[in-house]
Amino acid sequence: MSFGSHMLHLVVILFAAIFTDNILLARFLGMCSFLSVSRQVKTAVGLGFAVVFVMTFTISLDWFAYRYVLQPYGIEYFRFILFIIIIAAFVQFIEMAIERYSPVLYQNLGIFLPLITVNCAILGASLFMVIRDYDLAEGIAFGLGSGIGWMLAIVAMAGIRERLNNARIPKGLQGPGITLIIAGLMALAFIGFTGVLSSR
Amino acid sequence: MSIRDRAWFPIIYMFVITLLLSAVLILFGSATRQRVKNNERIAYERAVIQSLPIDLPARLSTSQIHQIYITNVYDTTEASAGALRYIKHDTLVGYALPIQGPGFWAPIKGVIGIAADGKTITGVSFYEQNETPGLGGEITKMEFREQFVGKQISQSGMPVQFRAATDPLDENSVHAITGATQTSNRLSRFLNEQLAIWRERITARQ
Amino acid sequence: MIAQKKTGDVILTAVWGDNPVFRQILGICSALAVTNLVLNTIVMGTAVMFTTALSGLTVSLLRKWTPRIIRMMVEVLVIAFYVILFDRALKAYWPDMSRNLGPYVGLIITNCIIMGRAEAFANANPPGLSFVDGFFSGLGYALILLCVAVIRELLGMGTLLGIPIPFFSSALWDRWIIMVMPPGAFFTLAVIVWLARTVQRSKQVTSGGNK
Repeated sequence: MSFGSHMLHLVVILFAAIFTDNILLARFLGMCSFLSVSRQVKTAVGLGFAVVFVMTFTISLDWFAYRYVLQPYGIEYFRFILFIIIIAAFVQFIEMAIERYSPVLYQNLGIFLPLITVNCAILGASLFMVIRDYDLAEGIAFGLGSGIGWMLAIVAMAGIRERLNNARIPKGLQGPGITLIIAGLMALAFIGFTGVLSSR
Repeated sequence: MSIRDRAWFPIIYMFVITLLLSAVLILFGSATRQRVKNNERIAYERAVIQSLPIDLPARLSTSQIHQIYITNVYDTTEASAGALRYIKHDTLVGYALPIQGPGFWAPIKGVIGIAADGKTITGVSFYEQNETPGLGGEITKMEFREQFVGKQISQSGMPVQFRAATDPLDENSVHAITGATQTSNRLSRFLNEQLAIWRERITARQ
Repeated sequence: MIAQKKTGDVILTAVWGDNPVFRQILGICSALAVTNLVLNTIVMGTAVMFTTALSGLTVSLLRKWTPRIIRMMVEVLVIAFYVILFDRALKAYWPDMSRNLGPYVGLIITNCIIMGRAEAFANANPPGLSFVDGFFSGLGYALILLCVAVIRELLGMGTLLGIPIPFFSSALWDRWIIMVMPPGAFFTLAVIVWLARTVQRSKQVTSGGNK
């Protein structure tokens, strides 16, 4: 494959991960923080960036771990543990950094920052990288795209929910109920993207 | 100062816990390794047999599958163009062509059975797929698979057409799965590519 | 340590009062996608119960020894351990189901409920009670998923557990394909959350609750 067509291939993976195969709306991964940290656009953007960052880096770390530790010893079923530990350690590091440099953001994200560890999107992206046999460059493109796609979805959701503040919603439906319905409508919209691009 | 207040304690602690849990997992992993391998092997053999025109009892034990596979299924040769051969009483009854390609989530692997004439499809079966259960995952269901039985491989263009569920069918088309457009499209693409290549090679032989 | 809680209270809170799904909307990622078939949902629910109960027990047993700074890592490790055990057992003894559920079993590790229970309950309570709490949190979760699955499979495919249901599988019933697809999960869950919250609210109003 020539350099040009290889770059094009990577760009296709990137965009497919953002739109057509959106990890949140098409694959359901990373729902918890999507539903609970989407009240304000500002926090959503913060968390979104954190996810993009963590996902891109952990996917590369996981790639090395898989390729050079798990595969040579034939203990691929250990990947869950190894990946999640890499993610947990990385998130702990990010947490310390945010606490140090942006106390406001740290306060806003509150208990949800540790929950990035259990953000299924991040572990999920690494698992897909393994299943699909991506090389390092493809993996990074996929991680970056998935992160951006996740951020896009949560920021859009936060934007919609900010507008709902003054809407009259039935009592029982307030909060999670209406959020789920919006998520359903967004998922419906994203189905429209499928087939525009194919990652392979 | 108790041992728990020392700076190195968390590291040692983490290390010990990891070691302990890993040891259990490795033990369990190696205890079941043979079983898991056998399961994968049987899944493949079952897929091959299901795609071929064999009269089968409704429930087949794993040993029966294995028995049929080792007695009647032969490796690929130059003349079979990459397909396994199903031979009974010294006559060639059919071919089983392994196919694989990307699905919606992960690669799909399966087998297409073709009669000895090289034109009539005798069945399809999948032994590895991670499509969404209930949607793309329906490719493993009888309703989808039995559509292929008796279809003719079209001798020009796409060997097998995938059509929308409302469209009428002819002798070389099947219905795609409603709601699983992505799985259907991707399956259609690699199935047809690989079947077309086999079609060229087998016609060149005959 | 917190005053001793009664087992019965723990169960009631776990399954109804603080039900992880409709009170907290946690942990639906790994399971929503499989709720279009009842059988898959049951297995998935069992896996979650197994993991929450046993990881609660283990985390609680270790709680006096675990240094605070690596608490999360230890919890994740314990959870991952049980999930891998389950995944491996499924692969070895029920390969068909393992193939059906695909990558989702592994993703139970990231189910926030399990982590949440370990963090919020097992860290501060004795092992027996943590086990009970974990088990019933898992059960509360599984029951909601089961409701979602029953509705989705019935309306979307006209079957339950793969068995055709009269009327719904006949020509009279036009199958709602949307129920089988991802958005169907959101809508069904939204309606269930709505109902459950309305019921809880009306009960609190009549009993003068202050929540």
